[in-house]
Amino acid sequence: MRAYYRFPLLFLLPSLAGFLAFNLGPILLSLLLSFVSYDGLRPLSLETLREGWVGLENYRRLWEDPVFHKAFRNTLFYVGVAVPLEILLALLLALGLNRPWPGVRIVRTLYLLPAVTSVVAVGLLWRWVLNPTVGPVNLALRAVGGWLEALWRGVGLEAPGWVVWLATQGPGWLSDPAWAMWGVILASVWAGVGLRMLIFLAGLQSINREYLEAASLDGANAFQRFFYVTLPLLSPTVFLNVLLAMIGAFQVFGLVYTMTGGGPLDSTNVLMLYLYQKAFGVFPFEMGYASAIAWVLFLILFALTYLQWVLRRRWVLEEA
Amino acid sequence: MRLLGKLWDGLVYLLLWAGGLTMLVPFFWMVATSLKAPGSVFDLPVELWPRELHLENYHRVLTAVPFGRWYLNSLIVALGLTFLNLTSGAMGGYAFARFRFRGQGALFLLFLATLMIPVHVLIIPLFILMRNLGWVDTYYALILPGLFDAFAIFLMRQHFLQLPRELEEAAIVDGATPWQIYWRVALPLAAPALATLGTFTFLAGWNSFLWPLIVTNSLEMRTLTVGLAVFQGQFSTEWTVLMAGLTLGTLPPILVFLLAQRYFIQGLTLGSLKG
Repeated sequence: MRAYYRFPLLFLLPSLAGFLAFNLGPILLSLLLSFVSYDGLRPLSLETLREGWVGLENYRRLWEDPVFHKAFRNTLFYVGVAVPLEILLALLLALGLNRPWPGVRIVRTLYLLPAVTSVVAVGLLWRWVLNPTVGPVNLALRAVGGWLEALWRGVGLEAPGWVVWLATQGPGWLSDPAWAMWGVILASVWAGVGLRMLIFLAGLQSINREYLEAASLDGANAFQRFFYVTLPLLSPTVFLNVLLAMIGAFQVFGLVYTMTGGGPLDSTNVLMLYLYQKAFGVFPFEMGYASAIAWVLFLILFALTYLQWVLRRRWVLEEA
Repeated sequence: MRLLGKLWDGLVYLLLWAGGLTMLVPFFWMVATSLKAPGSVFDLPVELWPRELHLENYHRVLTAVPFGRWYLNSLIVALGLTFLNLTSGAMGGYAFARFRFRGQGALFLLFLATLMIPVHVLIIPLFILMRNLGWVDTYYALILPGLFDAFAIFLMRQHFLQLPRELEEAAIVDGATPWQIYWRVALPLAAPALATLGTFTFLAGWNSFLWPLIVTNSLEMRTLTVGLAVFQGQFSTEWTVLMAGLTLGTLPPILVFLLAQRYFIQGLTLGSLKG
């Protein structure tokens, strides 16, 4: 027996090697790099690190960098709009799709399909779907606009400007700085809602039906059952889903890269894209500066996760 | 009242069906565009589905860029990552579930803590490491960092903990070595967990973008996602060709998903609800 419990090293060797070489090592190096000015061209050695050492200079530059500020605001806007939208839609979908009815499994799969499609495919596809003149989104909007215009004409009035605009033109989406971020958000909600829905479904299915039946017997109507029974019991799932969605949204990259490249006029530039541009995209590369961006982003994520973890006690029902 | 409730339910189902079909519109648009005559896509009024099918777009995407090579690269990378991840994940998970050794708890905690570290902190130093090793633009750089995945270890550990110990103890009595027990008893019994993890890793590998974008730079070493993303400029006047490429690239993950839906969903919900 004893021999069996000894020598776990063999089993741990692959993951331990991977952990040290591709995880722990790089994390430490990344922290170090954020205090260094490094163009990525010279081979990296202790010598280069010492020569390029700038202390907190990279972080100070971030403080004054207008593009960083813009990317920061854009990221917050993206997270603040896309995550609540996704969560709310997903919750509504999961409630509807939790009951057995004809075709429910097929419909679930339909909502999930975009989730298995790569962000690159989603981004490139939506660039085309959002084409202002021939894309299906604007075709549909123009149809709605035309219908509204006819409605106005039907009652003998002149249609207001926005109806005419909708009927003849519609948003310019990715080419218009005022609309571009909304275009990205639309694509990301389309791609992400199925995944969130699935996690809600799993949470709903773990709720004991007896609670709901008891509430029914006590005369609770559907809304009361939802707000006083289902939602509290689902709150751990809501917490987790919001947290994961938020962490993911802060790191949005592929969608923006493929849809707009950050433009027009940096209106969709986000932190991850700016990091990429600084480290790998625009010559001269500034890998130390980009590492500082990485650590600021990490600290934001860490602080928000911690905050949510603390606030969790106020609204998340702990299972006994 | 009963009738009203039934009507309400019917309305909800209708809405959910309509929403589900609306989700398909972009896919439909992708396939429809890929079959249109090159250069006709800006004609007004817009044709929803082409009257004549133009398969030459598919021929063109296969010949204008090394599309086949990208496809192969994606397959190699996704399969390679899956293999590595399953191997190291199952072995590591087994070590944590079945062995007792000094520092075990601390090591496990350290592994789990890496789940907190977002990938963007790693990519710059990882890239520098790959360049110092001379691995940029090789399969090593694309695949080897998948050697460690805390989630895989966690998932496999959970699974091995649930296996009844008696099965392995019987093998010990028969004088089997730990490796034989792992390989002949524990691993075969872990097939469902391996399928879950495998489906999950394959899809993530096929769809990955940021790392392959950074660590490849030659036309031949691009994966499909990177190839299409980087070359979209070349296609931006040829939407029909780009959409043909996207259709071909979207097919494998969707097929894998439809075939292994159960495992994929298990992986997702396990990872998010217990992770």
